[in-house]
Amino acid sequence: MLRRDPLADPAPLIKRVYAYAAYRLGDGADAEDATSETFERAVKYRKSYDPRKGEPVAWLLGIAKRCIDGGWSKAEFPTQDVDSVDTTDLEEETLRRLMISRAVAALDERDRELIALRYGADLTAREIAELLGARTNAIEVALHRALGRLRGILGVDETEPVRKRGASR
Amino acid sequence: MRYWRKRHEGLDLEAELRAGRPEPASEFVHRLEARVRNDGSRFRAGSLRVAFVGALTAVMLLAVASVGGVGYASSAAEDAAVSVKRIVTPNDVITVLKRSPAIDQYKKPKAKKVKKAKKAKKQGKGTKGRVRARTRPPFTG
Repeated sequence: MLRRDPLADPAPLIKRVYAYAAYRLGDGADAEDATSETFERAVKYRKSYDPRKGEPVAWLLGIAKRCIDGGWSKAEFPTQDVDSVDTTDLEEETLRRLMISRAVAALDERDRELIALRYGADLTAREIAELLGARTNAIEVALHRALGRLRGILGVDETEPVRKRGASR
Repeated sequence: MRYWRKRHEGLDLEAELRAGRPEPASEFVHRLEARVRNDGSRFRAGSLRVAFVGALTAVMLLAVASVGGVGYASSAAEDAAVSVKRIVTPNDVITVLKRSPAIDQYKKPKAKKVKKAKKAKKQGKGTKGRVRARTRPPFTG
C-alpha cells in the first residue's frame, strides 16, 4: 500500500507554520529559521507521520513547537515602538498590524502560544487541545482569557460590537 | 497606542488577528517548497518502486499459476531434493536383491542359539561362591 506523504503540498503548510512561528517569535528571520528547521525535521522524519493521529499541519506544528521551545523561546521578540512611527507614512492597515504584533509580544509565553496556534496556524480549539494534551474546554477558556489580556494591552473595549458567527469554532 | 485607542474602540480582535496573520516572503516559501519537493520526490519514488515490484510479482504468479506452473515448479523442486539427497547420503552398503541357488547354498549360517549355553554359564557362575546344599554324603569308594 502507498504511504500518504504529509508534505505532498507544502506551500500552504509553510504559510501556516510560518504564521505560528511569527506570532511566537516575531515576523522576520527568526520565524523563517524556525519554519526551515521545522520542515527540515519533517522531511527527515516524514515516515513517522501517522495520519490516524491527525492532519499534517498538526504534526508539523508539534514539530515547530518543539523547535521553538528548544531553541528560540528566549529570543527577543522584535517590536517597533508604534508611538514613534509617523502615521502619515504608513497606511492604517500596516499600523494596525504593527500594533497587534506588539500587543501579542507583550503577552506571556503561554498566551502567545495559544494565540499563535489559534489565529496564526488557524487550528480549532479541539486541535489545539490535542496538540497540547489538554481538554478542549480548558483551551477555550484559556484562549478567551488571552484575548481579554490582549484587549487590555491594546486598550480595546471588552464589549465587542460585532462578533462573527462561528468565529471561535 | 494613543493612535490605536483613538481609532479602534470596539474592534473585532479575532478578525484582526486572523487578517493580520504574518505571512512569509514568497521567495522564502518557494525556496523551502522546492527543497521539500526535492526530498519528497525521492520518498515517493521509493514507495512507488516497492509498489511496482509487488504488482509485478503478483501478475507473474497469477500468469504462472494459470498454466499449472506452480505444480510443475513444486515437482521439479521435489526431484531436485531427491537427487541431492542421493548424492549426499553415503551409500557403501551393497544390497543384492537377486536370489540365486548359490546364495541359498552358501547363505550365512544362522546365528547359533546361545541362550541355553548362556543359561548354563550363568548357573555355573552363580554357584561359584555359594555353598551347595548336600542331600547325601559324597561317594568315597
